[in-house]
Amino acid sequence: MRAETLKGHLDFLLLAIIADEPAHGYRIIEELKRRSGGAFDLPEGTVYPALHRLEESGLLASSWASRSGRRRRVYELTARGRRALAGARRDWRGFAKAVEAVVA
Amino acid sequence: MIKRYLAELSAELGSVGIRGAQRRRILAEAEDHLRESGDPGRFGDPALVAARFADELATSGARRVAWGSVVALAPAGIAYAILFSLPAPWPDITAARHVPVALVAAATMVLAPQISFAAGLLAAAGAWRLRSQVAAPARAITLLRHRAGVALAAGATSLLAVMVTTYEFSAWISNWRVALTFSLASASLVPIAVGALALRNTAALRPQTAGEAGDVFDDLAPVFDRLPLELRGRPWRFCLLFAAVVAALALLGGGVLNEGPRNAVAEFSAVCAGFAALGRYLGLR
Repeated sequence: MRAETLKGHLDFLLLAIIADEPAHGYRIIEELKRRSGGAFDLPEGTVYPALHRLEESGLLASSWASRSGRRRRVYELTARGRRALAGARRDWRGFAKAVEAVVA
Repeated sequence: MIKRYLAELSAELGSVGIRGAQRRRILAEAEDHLRESGDPGRFGDPALVAARFADELATSGARRVAWGSVVALAPAGIAYAILFSLPAPWPDITAARHVPVALVAAATMVLAPQISFAAGLLAAAGAWRLRSQVAAPARAITLLRHRAGVALAAGATSLLAVMVTTYEFSAWISNWRVALTFSLASASLVPIAVGALALRNTAALRPQTAGEAGDVFDDLAPVFDRLPLELRGRPWRFCLLFAAVVAALALLGGGVLNEGPRNAVAEFSAVCAGFAALGRYLGLR
């Protein structure tokens, strides 16, 4: 899938992945690939700006955590992020249903 | 290989204005990621990653600074409202300690808040237009920064002008009023200084996205599209119309038979002069 197609939905997808459990960047990207069956395969470094931006806008929070002697930045959803995700899920389901009804 | 990639990424981040703690954090996250994946090729071209950071952070930063400038100016607006609602009018200009200084300060005290208000509104309108953009065009971000900067600078100038004017006439004004003016104006300068610092920090970022900056006609398209007059692409027609509305308000506010006509001419001229001087910088023309 082209990166351009994914662009408008990346925030929603990232929030959905992090909603399950706090995760670091590499894990988030791997999960994005795994859940999409390899369809969402972006240049990995371009996901980090989105994570930083979501944190700046208060939808994510992050902190350093040490695991196996390695420091990693772990992201988790804030209360605002959960509300945004719930809204985005509602919008997406409505949109997908409408598109499906037209093209099926 | 990882080391070389990180060095390249560090240089690219620096070239788009990302430095200090933010750059260290990005590099630490990238290093952790690369040690896990072992493949810098999959992380993306360092220039592309750095540009993406600059584009996204500059867009959200410019929006935040634009809204922040409006919030930072609110105390100044309240201070103005309090100070100018008090009785005891200013004495004649010849009573000032230094007449030329008092004249300039008094004129600034009247004109600068209008510039600040207009630039603040434009900053808010621009931020609203870019509200859902992840990476806005670099020119649009620059325009937003200009508007926020002018709003803050004119706001600070207004407060300084109030203090200078009060000082110039302090021999004729009660002590409590002088003290109140200086206290309110000084306190109102603090959030403006905070807003200016935030603007300086985000202004270091150099976004790369191509595209047009847009102008006031794009910001307020829903309004302009409903007007019976065609103003888009005719900025001077818009200027004259806006100046006429402001002049009419000044005429009514000052009284048709009193100071109204003089105030109306002054406001009309000031709007046109402001439009000529700052119109392009603020995306009005």
